[in-house]
Amino acid sequence: MAIEYKKNQAVFVDVVSVDEAETLLDWLQNKPNAKIDLGRCSHLHPSNLQVLLAAKVSIAVWPKDINLRAWLESILTITQAV
Amino acid sequence: MNPLLEQFLSEAREFLQGIAEKLMQLENTPDDSYLLVELFRLVHTLKGNSGLFEFPEMTRVLHAGEDLMDAVRDGRVGFSQKLADDLLDAMDFVSVLCDQIEQGGKIEADMTVDSYRLAESLRVLMASQMTSAQTPVVDDAQPASTKDTINFLALNQLPETVRIDAYTRAMAGETLYWVIYTPIENCFFQGEDPFFTARQTPESLWGQISAQEAWPPLAELDAYRSALRFEALSAASREELIEHYRYVEDQIQLIPVDPWSFVIPQGNPNGGPVYEDFVLDALQYMDAGDLTALRSVAETMLQLSNPELWLSSALRWLILLLDTVPPNHQAITILIESLRSLKAPDWSLLTDTLPVVTAVAVAPTIETGSEIKTPVETSSVTRADAKEISEADALALASIFATQLQILQLDDNASWQLGRIKAVAGVLLNCCKAIDDTHAIAAIEEALAASLAAENSAPLIDWLTARSLNVAVVKPVAEPIAEEPPIGLKTLDEAAPMPTVEEITPELVSADDVPKFGRRPDESTAAKSLKVDQAKIDRLMNLIGEIVVSKNALPYLAQRAEEQFGVRELSREIKAQYAVINRIAEEMQDAIMQVRMMPVSFVFQRFPRLVRDISRKLGKEVHLVLEGEETEADKNIIEALADPLIHIVRNSLDHGLELPDVRRAAGKPASGTLTIKANQEGDQVIIEIIDDGKGIDPEVIKRKAYEKNIIDEATLERMSDLEAVNLIFAAGFSTAEVVSDLSGRGVGMDVVRTAVEKVNGAIQLDSQVGKGTRIRISLPLSMAVTKVMIIESDDQVFGMPMDHVVEIVRIPVSELTSIKQSLTTVFRGKIVALKSLNSLLGLPAEPIVNSDGEVAVLIARLGNEVVGLIVDDFHETIDVIQKPLTGVLAGLGAYSGSALMGDGSVLMILNVRGIV
Repeated sequence: MAIEYKKNQAVFVDVVSVDEAETLLDWLQNKPNAKIDLGRCSHLHPSNLQVLLAAKVSIAVWPKDINLRAWLESILTITQAV
Repeated sequence: MNPLLEQFLSEAREFLQGIAEKLMQLENTPDDSYLLVELFRLVHTLKGNSGLFEFPEMTRVLHAGEDLMDAVRDGRVGFSQKLADDLLDAMDFVSVLCDQIEQGGKIEADMTVDSYRLAESLRVLMASQMTSAQTPVVDDAQPASTKDTINFLALNQLPETVRIDAYTRAMAGETLYWVIYTPIENCFFQGEDPFFTARQTPESLWGQISAQEAWPPLAELDAYRSALRFEALSAASREELIEHYRYVEDQIQLIPVDPWSFVIPQGNPNGGPVYEDFVLDALQYMDAGDLTALRSVAETMLQLSNPELWLSSALRWLILLLDTVPPNHQAITILIESLRSLKAPDWSLLTDTLPVVTAVAVAPTIETGSEIKTPVETSSVTRADAKEISEADALALASIFATQLQILQLDDNASWQLGRIKAVAGVLLNCCKAIDDTHAIAAIEEALAASLAAENSAPLIDWLTARSLNVAVVKPVAEPIAEEPPIGLKTLDEAAPMPTVEEITPELVSADDVPKFGRRPDESTAAKSLKVDQAKIDRLMNLIGEIVVSKNALPYLAQRAEEQFGVRELSREIKAQYAVINRIAEEMQDAIMQVRMMPVSFVFQRFPRLVRDISRKLGKEVHLVLEGEETEADKNIIEALADPLIHIVRNSLDHGLELPDVRRAAGKPASGTLTIKANQEGDQVIIEIIDDGKGIDPEVIKRKAYEKNIIDEATLERMSDLEAVNLIFAAGFSTAEVVSDLSGRGVGMDVVRTAVEKVNGAIQLDSQVGKGTRIRISLPLSMAVTKVMIIESDDQVFGMPMDHVVEIVRIPVSELTSIKQSLTTVFRGKIVALKSLNSLLGLPAEPIVNSDGEVAVLIARLGNEVVGLIVDDFHETIDVIQKPLTGVLAGLGAYSGSALMGDGSVLMILNVRGIV
């Protein structure tokens, strides 16, 4: 399980593959105020990223992976600001 | 080589041939939409197939071709001669690649550059055609340049530390590339992870993701439609980047970044420009050349200032610039000046002193069309000394500059390179004069001098790229422009949404995939024909040959049963069985022959292209007529025919057909007709090449032949016109006054004749001066089975190919006449030289004369002459499978091969040409 769904938080673990995007999308549709924990995430497929962007989710924990964080911050922070 | 690759190569050849054919047909009917679709399909399939293997060079060129054909198909680009030429060139290139793969299993490294050049030229062609059809003034580089503005704006978002690092690396001689990776919409379905690819960008200093469009409400989101764009700043070389993105090469843009564009001080302006004192001091130090002092002042100032301030940022850059070796005084001055206004430094003022590294790094590589930047701003906004010009003029100018850059980037080895440089410089100078840009004029003249001195275009390219790069740097800086794109560009962008290379690519690639899925059905229809390795057919042929031979042993067995053992009944039964086996064997042989049969169109199909190319080169108008392409003959014969035919066609085009003016003067239509036809006559295939050109003058031929000692004076007098024109087949004969690269080297027609005779064919020419020439080649249908007549001499049997046998006669000894040493006789009103087979083969015996005092003479045909061979006796004719002599026997010229007889004995087949 690459995404652990908790009550109001989705925890991304290791590599989140393309197959997760659909589930994630469903889940987020029902939980508009959900937060995302990327702390243990090492990579996520862009389809998941698109879902996160479209859902304008807030990131609870940024990835520990500095490289991933730098990439994600470039777009996730901007979207959140909007 | 693996079977898949083998299959690919053989198919690729077919496709290439098909593409060439379609292109040629399109030249006649450019509007035929069916042909266009068909052509696109061929290019498309070939590209798709090439993608199965690691041949990026091939795929690249084919992809460009495919894009172009797609544009033509959709009517966005008109079909033109130039387009056909370029596409044919590209296909020739692919064919060369196929050859290389076949020979070495890989593509030579030096092909990469060519592939870029070809792909680029196709794209440029497409872009230019498209724009010329829609908005004549605007070059395709235009929308790209607005894109660049955005990209360079993005440099602002880079953290200062990253930019400092990038700047330092660039100053150390590295070229930094701004990579823009826009994955196609359906890339997720192809198993790609663009984000991962982007993250793995080699030597990436910084990266960002952006959305291509606003996100729809969550419920409508299609998570599997890629709508992201990845950008990265990389210090890797262009080659490394291309290698990394090789599978998505069409989806990335590489933009070399000018080091100066990293130098953007940022921060809190803190109440506006109040550093006049510092600026004055700093400039004084600069004038005095005291950089150490300047550095310490700057450091002190930096320590006193809040690091968040714009000033501090500028000071940090100043210190970095001072530390650069060697320091660029002009750049430092510009940076200091910028402190006055707190506006970003205006690096465009640096034009002529750009560090060499950027320019060099950009110049020799072939950039994709989008990367050619247009110096709109340079000319209109930032240049104080340039005359104000309208946006339209600026656009026109930009497109001119971009074109000049492309011209310069064409291949560097051409002998006309110097002329080209001069021409380009002329254009640039005139442009700059028109806008009163005196700076530029001086710079161009300098670059021109350098280019001419170095005999290459690098200095001029440097200048052009520097100029265009500068624009990009300037854009985010010059404030009114940075906020909103220039009105001209914007309106233009919106008013004319031109499909540029970048814009089409995604939709095009997505269009690709539809037929990919739908291709299965037509594969099943194609499966009706098999591709079989020729070696397998040859093996079948050998086996059936053995069956024929061993079946021939049955009659001998029947004979023995009857004569030796006296069982007549058995003998009859064996004969009956033999008849059955014989029938089946013959049918089988026929069937296998059929497999080996190929239509002559295999050879003919290359003529349209050949004729087109040669006639264009020679400036002649030629109408080619092909007839009887479906006529079939044995594969070996067809293949052996290819080269001689090409030679004949070239000769006809070069020497036969006249130039349009000459033809008109002679009262003939300006366009000449070249007819190539094939048909079957009995067991021969007749191929005729007919032109309606100037014909061959027998007198000229005779004179030439005499001059070249091919004939003697007596022959010269005696010769008929027909014989004379056939002299062109004699060895060492050439009538052309001037040797051209097409023909006229004197190694032509005799080679043709030899090649035809090698497959037991004959060639004949007749010609009428002023009317034209006809060359007739007759060939056996098949070489596999040879009919031979068995002849006997000195108690030995030999085979004589029936092709050579004209007649067999018995001539009374009394009618033989000796002329000098040779025997002759008058036969059917003609003098025939007689030769004894025994003496020709070195057998000591005399020919046997029969009881009626007659000798057996076999009249054999030898080219156009006949010769009589005196033998002892004639036997029946049989079909044999002739095997070439191998090993030490191969050197025996007297025999053309051997065959196995039904009784197991070996029959030697005589080679008439070799013994007479």
